[in-house]
Amino acid sequence: MNNTLDEFKEELETCFGTSCGFCERGCPVYQTMKVKTLCMKGRNRTMLGLLQGKFDITPAVVQAAFECTLCGNCDRWCSLKNTEHTRAFREYLLKHGYEPMKEHASLAASLKNYGNPWFQPRSARNKWTKGLNIPKAAPGAQDVLFFAGCTSAVMKPLVPSLVAGAKLLQRAGVRFATLGQDEPCCGSTLLRVGQTEAYEDIAKKNVERFEALGVKRIVTACPGCYTTLKKSLQDHGSKIEVVHITKEIADLVRSGKLKVKRSTERMTYHDPCHLGRLGGVFEEPRDILRAIAPLAEMPNHGMESRCCGAGAGLQSAFPKLSRDLAAKRIAEATSTGATTLVTCCPFCETQLRTVPGIKVADLMELLLSSVENGEKGNDRPAPGKT
Amino acid sequence: MSYIEELTTALGKEKVLVDPAERFVYGADWSPRTPDEFFPPDVVILPRTTRDVQRTIKVAYEHGIPVTAGGGLTGMLGGAVPLFKGIYIDTTTMNSVVEVDSKNQTIRVQAGATLQEVNDAVHPYDLWLPHQPESKWVSTVGSAIACDNDSTFGVRYGKILNCLLSAEIVTGTGEVLELGHRKAHFTSSGYKLKDLLAGSEGTLGVITEATLKLEPIPATRRVDMLVFPRLGAAVDYLSRLLKAGLCIEAAHINCKRRLKFYTQTYKQKYGKDPEIPAWGEALLAISFAGDKGVVDFQRDEAVRLSKEFEAQLVEERELVDSWWTSKYTLEFEPFKQKWPDSQTKKKFGAADPGVPVGRLEEFYHKFVEIAEKHRLDIIGMNAYLEHPNSIGFSLSCAVYVDYRDADEVKRFREYHDELSKMAISFEGTMSTFMSDTHQKAPYLELEHGASLRHMREIKRLFDPKGILNPGKKFPREESP
Repeated sequence: MNNTLDEFKEELETCFGTSCGFCERGCPVYQTMKVKTLCMKGRNRTMLGLLQGKFDITPAVVQAAFECTLCGNCDRWCSLKNTEHTRAFREYLLKHGYEPMKEHASLAASLKNYGNPWFQPRSARNKWTKGLNIPKAAPGAQDVLFFAGCTSAVMKPLVPSLVAGAKLLQRAGVRFATLGQDEPCCGSTLLRVGQTEAYEDIAKKNVERFEALGVKRIVTACPGCYTTLKKSLQDHGSKIEVVHITKEIADLVRSGKLKVKRSTERMTYHDPCHLGRLGGVFEEPRDILRAIAPLAEMPNHGMESRCCGAGAGLQSAFPKLSRDLAAKRIAEATSTGATTLVTCCPFCETQLRTVPGIKVADLMELLLSSVENGEKGNDRPAPGKT
Repeated sequence: MSYIEELTTALGKEKVLVDPAERFVYGADWSPRTPDEFFPPDVVILPRTTRDVQRTIKVAYEHGIPVTAGGGLTGMLGGAVPLFKGIYIDTTTMNSVVEVDSKNQTIRVQAGATLQEVNDAVHPYDLWLPHQPESKWVSTVGSAIACDNDSTFGVRYGKILNCLLSAEIVTGTGEVLELGHRKAHFTSSGYKLKDLLAGSEGTLGVITEATLKLEPIPATRRVDMLVFPRLGAAVDYLSRLLKAGLCIEAAHINCKRRLKFYTQTYKQKYGKDPEIPAWGEALLAISFAGDKGVVDFQRDEAVRLSKEFEAQLVEERELVDSWWTSKYTLEFEPFKQKWPDSQTKKKFGAADPGVPVGRLEEFYHKFVEIAEKHRLDIIGMNAYLEHPNSIGFSLSCAVYVDYRDADEVKRFREYHDELSKMAISFEGTMSTFMSDTHQKAPYLELEHGASLRHMREIKRLFDPKGILNPGKKFPREESP
């Protein structure tokens, strides 16, 4: 369950006592802004000062709380739960009279009215399944539930990646169902922007629903949904397993069940924070990509990967900073000499495409294309957009 | 117009922080203190250029406002804490590389670049800056000079002063000066004002740029540990290696208590502290680096010579690797660094005296006695060889401090002071890597005697109004 900021006070004091500042080096926001309240050491001190009553909620306090993508890089070198501190910090501010940022309030309002944060009608959620013959989930009728996630399902440019994922699962013989237009939001956005109670309400309902359907495994293509559903199920003591689609597909690629047409084009891979550092999935997407093309790693990859800047409400509330982070990541990608930057997160994809310089491709789309080409003997260029 | 308004006009509001939360975070460093012991400055400046620093100091000079400059705020004794408020200059916003001159093996950087950023910049040229304290990820070039901290590789390359060729500073009047000898490695010309900067704690000027000497990256490195029956035997052994002509890269003597602090990964793997022979009193960690054949020869020769000193080579590589990881690579498994784990309840606190090499063992017993007298849990003693190809060492005499307990913090400070003064009575020095700060300021005369008067005159020359980091080195009432 989610701890409150007061419950983290001892950890904040431990950070103060330690004061190593090792979190500064990999923090994409601090390295861009260079203001100490925006690195974890300074942010922890800000929370401590606030709890000590040294100052009130000032604009800098709000900035410290919300100018963070919760990417988890600060946890990389530290045994404290820094990312959780920041989430609790946001919740604390909202509980102590700070009004949600208008951009975040807007996401929450859409979620309440439409079941997704993007003001798209509920009917839009199921459009991506057209022609795929995916059964709708019913109690006891399926073991595997494919969870599309709001962003990929309702944002048109992202639909092909979802379709590719589903087609690959079908080719692999995985029998799965979806919730169609009744699929709920996982609550990730609410959790990350500090609206904890609203998230917990959604999480509880979601778990009850999954349990009622009798599913044993949830497969998702969205890293944000992946970590959030895992957390929700774990918090409620459910035994339902959540896996990211790359885990499901990687074995098929490794065993050669999917015949892949390999490209000679050099590609690089961006670890989505929620899949890699926060989700612990590093090798499966790489194994898939290595089967498709030569992989050139960025200087910061794996646990050291840098956030694209989209996460935890930064993209909506602080677009300039968010884009600066994306630009840094694109610069890193181009420095590898790769012509394509591959990722497997709808947020990362959208975000990285805002900065020109390199073609950005979705891993599932790329794999499906390589498999289709492999089967047909074609030599089509890899999908992707700059 | 207030001085803060003047600063905002001169620099632009994006470089001037006045929000109480933003100022608050600059009010404490790494030194043991209670969680409510913050000294926030009145305003924080985020300079980008030397000109920004100069403008700031000119305003401060005109209004007589204290100016404290800082980097990563990892000082172990409060050196960059703005005790008297005023202006805090966060130099970390000045971290650009001005020039890498690979042919002449030098780098010119802004002083806010971290030591790691310097090494990231020169790595493509197969060069490195061997000044490597454990805080290298956040310790900045300016702070390393101003604090005169120590380095893992001191016995081969020395401390930061051995790497420093030239530095640009802004004095207490706002004058910009270049001190040093450009890219030449040494000089016989003039007074060596550059050397005054080492350990100056920002009391003579704010360091804004530096030219540093780089070294070729050694191709291979071998690290070993040896157990000795006495601390003095480890010192004698190192002397013997130097006499033999071996080029030691790193040499650290740990008392057996201290080892436990540096073996977190071992503990994580095996769930227990490493065991060393019951007779062992000292553990020497030693490294050689260079071409493989040369390294192998030197290492084998060192192992052979160890038999003359009743030493035993540590065969358990996990123990050696755990120590080295903790000290140098900082790449802990499973991706966690040691400090918060070991400091949840109490934190590391140390005194940093220096004593004559032949009296290490005698001083060690004094350290234990004084720590016990002040009722502090002992972490242990570490002796780091910090002088190139010589036996001279700095000492870290470490204890745990319950920083939530004001009485224990007070006892730590008393312990620190007593041990520092004890070092002088041992014909040594109070400080070898933390500088004086405000902590040792009241009794600097004990160490320096009549020459302290001349130090005050030097301070007055650079900072006539005494606005630069007041309270450090000299108690504030004594500042010029």
